[in-house]
Amino acid sequence: MAVAGDRGSLAAAPGSAGRWRWRWLGSVGLALLLALVGAIWVQSRQATLLNETVREGSDYVVLMVFQNEAEYLRLREEWQRAIDPSQPLDAAALQLRYDIWVSRVGLLHNQETQKAVADHADFRPTMRQVDAFVAEADQILGAQPSQPLTRQALAALMPALSALGGPLHGLSLRASHNVGEQIAQRNEAVRRHNQVGLALTAFLLALTLAFALIALRQVRQLEQRRATLEELAASLRLARRDAEAASSAKSVFLANMSHEIRTPFHGLMGMLSLLRETGLTPRQIDYLRTATESADHLLAILNDILDMSQLESGRMTLAPAPVDLRVMLREVEALMRPQATAKALALHIDADPSVPERVMADATRVKQVLFNLLSNAIKFSDRGAVVLDLRQREAADGRPELHFVVSDSGIGMDEATVASLFKRFTQGDSSHSRRHGGTGLGLEISRNLARLMGGDIGVSSRAGEGSIFTFRMPSQPVVAAPAPSALAGTETGITPRPLQVLVAEDHPVNRQYMAALLESLGHEAHFTANGQEAVEAIRARCSRPQGGCFDLVLMDLHMPVLDGVGATRAIRALPDPAAATVPIVALTADAFPETRDRCLVAGMNDFLTKPVSPQKLAASLRRLFGAAGAHELPAAPPPPAPLVPAGSPPLLDRAAIAAALQAMPRERLAAMIHGFLDQGPQTVARLRAAVRGAEALELRVNAHAARGAALNLGLAALAATAEALHEGASHLPALEIARHVERFEALLPLTREAAVAAGLHLPTQRRNGAPESAVT
Amino acid sequence: MLTISGRLRSPNDGTVANFDMPMLERLPQSHFTTQTPWYAQPRKFSGPLLRDVLAAAGAHGTMLRAVALNDYWVEIPFEDSARHDVLVARLLDDKPMAVRDKGPLFVIYPFDARPELRSPVYYSRSAWQLRAIEVR
Repeated sequence: MAVAGDRGSLAAAPGSAGRWRWRWLGSVGLALLLALVGAIWVQSRQATLLNETVREGSDYVVLMVFQNEAEYLRLREEWQRAIDPSQPLDAAALQLRYDIWVSRVGLLHNQETQKAVADHADFRPTMRQVDAFVAEADQILGAQPSQPLTRQALAALMPALSALGGPLHGLSLRASHNVGEQIAQRNEAVRRHNQVGLALTAFLLALTLAFALIALRQVRQLEQRRATLEELAASLRLARRDAEAASSAKSVFLANMSHEIRTPFHGLMGMLSLLRETGLTPRQIDYLRTATESADHLLAILNDILDMSQLESGRMTLAPAPVDLRVMLREVEALMRPQATAKALALHIDADPSVPERVMADATRVKQVLFNLLSNAIKFSDRGAVVLDLRQREAADGRPELHFVVSDSGIGMDEATVASLFKRFTQGDSSHSRRHGGTGLGLEISRNLARLMGGDIGVSSRAGEGSIFTFRMPSQPVVAAPAPSALAGTETGITPRPLQVLVAEDHPVNRQYMAALLESLGHEAHFTANGQEAVEAIRARCSRPQGGCFDLVLMDLHMPVLDGVGATRAIRALPDPAAATVPIVALTADAFPETRDRCLVAGMNDFLTKPVSPQKLAASLRRLFGAAGAHELPAAPPPPAPLVPAGSPPLLDRAAIAAALQAMPRERLAAMIHGFLDQGPQTVARLRAAVRGAEALELRVNAHAARGAALNLGLAALAATAEALHEGASHLPALEIARHVERFEALLPLTREAAVAAGLHLPTQRRNGAPESAVT
Repeated sequence: MLTISGRLRSPNDGTVANFDMPMLERLPQSHFTTQTPWYAQPRKFSGPLLRDVLAAAGAHGTMLRAVALNDYWVEIPFEDSARHDVLVARLLDDKPMAVRDKGPLFVIYPFDARPELRSPVYYSRSAWQLRAIEVR
């Protein structure tokens, strides 16, 4: 309010006061101008006066008149001497005197002289008298005298000459007085002008002072305004700092809160999954499904907010570790393929040969970015293909960079959309946001993560022609450690001890697979078919006085009666400390971070996604038991074929099969695959029954179980179809679901053919094949 | 007609230099027409330049005293003769001047050529009915 008020007064000031000041300045300026013009006029008047004086030479006239009188007196003296009979007549001297005097008389006829003395009443009679005398005298003293120069003639003229004395003297006095008066007048004029000049100068002084005052006022006002502005700026700086502090505090609060919210929320989700197993009516199951989906969605939003607030408050830290890029891409593909398949989109994921095997990176965050970009690409494409290309390029500074290029054939974006793309809460097109849902934080989080890694995300897109997102990050290759030559290498010097492992897994094929896997690592496997049985088995075995509790529980998440999360909570709640602290590792077909969070919140120690390769299992064992758990296994052999051939997903996942073959002999894997395929028709029958009865949950459970087993055995096409069924169970129309079931059925013989072609022959004594371990 | 006395290098009559009208006529002649306080109209003055007359007498000094027939005298700085084209006029409108016409010789400044000369100082230095010049 204070700031607004200040600004208000600032804005009002230039209005009236400013106009007033301008008027003032204008009138003062005009007055100054007038005063200066006046001063110039006065000075020019003075100059004119002076010029007049000089030209008229009126003071000089006085001298002339006096000299005339003087010459007259000298002539009269000479004249008297000439008529004196006692002295000789000096005609030449008289002539000279006379001529000199006449020349002086001539001057009196001069205009200037007349000006000086003309107003004198006696001037004209005097001049007439003088002229008359000269006319008479010229008869004897002129240039052509008509009479001889004699004493008599001179004597006759003497009285007339003497008579001139008085008038000429009067003329002298008069001229003197006149000139004196003129000088007095001129002095008066000069004095007047001086006064005017003085007044003008005083006026100028006053105006200059006024100007100075206004200028001073202006400067002071400017100073004040500057001070006000500075104050304002200071308060704004302060306000900004406060706002930033508040924003940062809010981010920290948000980060804390979303983290805090997640804990009870996981409890809520666990309870929801327990509730499902309590014999609900179909309507309750439907409600529960909706609640679970809402909870999943909410968790995703919470995770986004947590990421965002951590990024904003600077609490997000990366944990770079050696990452096998191609393995990571396969994991990404495994997760994204179902989404792509569900929309009938082709998904191509490929890495350039120049890309190093392993780099230092935070795999979780890199995958998060890739998931986001691929999900978007799939979300906004209705046909065609979504492609992820990994290349290595040189950055502007010459360092190597990894470029994850995600291109789609989707709706694309116009320039304005691209410009607003990375802003918070925006989606490509607001009309699509209702259709596609989401927090709108995904891209912002991705870009921030990319920048945190020292890279960035760029985009190029044209409306209707799809989009290309490029995720760049610095490539820091890891110097490859010498790989152990054999599975059971003894480089560490510690021989792994056999572990007692309980596997809670409802699908028989998966049980066989896990048995083979554990056996290959030198451990002993025990099985239960659901969570409830697992809890019972642990309670029974760990309370035995002779000891021998399980070293580890591998817990499938989706099981009938009691699922993995529920069983984990039950185990952690057991009174016996040995039983309650047994390490539990989740087995699941979905790699969603929220699923992982759910497991860890429920009390599990680790998390393995299917297909479970020997490497993954060994790594998890090492994490839990150190070198005693398992030797480091060589990296999974690279797949013989490109990651994804064009078109639909392949029937077999050669990478997964190669991994499985590391853990078990070919015959055993072949037996498992054919066993799974043999059970196919029953699975199809169960799925059909579920579709007919509109039992979505039943459908999901069956599809999920089939998917987990198919993933472990490397039956990619079947796994993808089962995934589509699992995903679509709750929202796809029945007809669509039936189509997926048909496809599943159709894939069974095709997969078998492909398996045989890959060298996984039907064993001769199939019926006596792989043993199915019972619960101990 | 004109007697120059005082500091002379080439006097022609004892210590003075006497000039008669033919001698003045033989010097380089010059003329100008100018307004004066003594005549209503501009008049033409002709005659030798003062500096030529002084040079003919070998005059050198700082001050001249011009003396008129009526014993009027006025002091003229020597440098005036160099700085201004001061005439020793012997003709007025191409006619010889009688004494009553302020002749026969008239020291005259070119008032119209130099406005700064139109002041009482130079009017008073214009000695007419010139009789003698004393060089000091």
